[in-house]
Amino acid sequence: MPSHLIPRGIRKVSPLIAAPVVGAAAVLYQLTANRTVIIRKIMCYSNVGNCNVFIGAGLAGAFAAFMPTLYVVNLFDAEWTEDEIPEIEVAADITVESSIVGCQVMIEVEEIAGV
Amino acid sequence: MPQLPQLYPYKPGPIEYIVMPGETVGIWVNKVYEFFKVLYIEGLPRSRPITIDLGAALAAGAATAITQLTLLEMPDLEFGQFRAEVLDDAEVILYQGRADQRHKLHTTVATYNRFQRQEDPDGHMGEFYVYEDNYAFMQAINNTDYALLHARVIFWGFRYVLQELGPPYSWSKQVLPDNWTRVPATAHL
Repeated sequence: MPSHLIPRGIRKVSPLIAAPVVGAAAVLYQLTANRTVIIRKIMCYSNVGNCNVFIGAGLAGAFAAFMPTLYVVNLFDAEWTEDEIPEIEVAADITVESSIVGCQVMIEVEEIAGV
Repeated sequence: MPQLPQLYPYKPGPIEYIVMPGETVGIWVNKVYEFFKVLYIEGLPRSRPITIDLGAALAAGAATAITQLTLLEMPDLEFGQFRAEVLDDAEVILYQGRADQRHKLHTTVATYNRFQRQEDPDGHMGEFYVYEDNYAFMQAINNTDYALLHARVIFWGFRYVLQELGPPYSWSKQVLPDNWTRVPATAHL
């Protein structure tokens, strides 16, 4: 049964990107200064092979995942909705990298107002 | 026993008219209340023709010019009651006169933005009134870290057709009608 969350912010989406390889993490969702953000949905699809997808903060070598690794099976769509995603609130751009170049990733977020 | 509706400006909940036809309003304009009888009321549904895009392709951190809301101008002897919703992630300031901010405090001004619908889904806190051609103005600010494709604001409300009450009623002489509703149609400076 889906939970009924009381909204804290506004819903937005990231662009659809092809995740770069491990060590080259790139911005998936650009956060506005002074705001925070919580991931509510994740959609991944790979046609380049089974792969691990890492979501976190920090670019390239400074990347640090803030949730467990997501495993994407080749040619299957993979989706996680807000009931399955921990309520991690971050104050940074969300970045992504993958074990194989080319896994498609998109997220929906709840962005909390800044001051 | 039927009860009279309780009507007043900024009423919480879905928008309602602020007086019934036949009742008296005092419209705050040019720093005095002017008194009128309401003859007729008509709805102004939330719709495309009363939607404005204050700034297409508004760069990160940029603000638009202070834009005259000619689409909300009212004819002579009419005023409009409006609520507004910002559709894009911009912050919007309301002015009535071009230099007179509304929803203001001593040192700053409250804004319209996309986050308000959580606490105020009906937009009652941002209600405002336009009397004849005492224009409202809006300015959008893009506080995000990226460009916005649009800075749209949509309006809805009611139109009130008025009849002048005339002498002996006068705010300056403090000869006031027995019962009247205050309409804050311009800024209180």
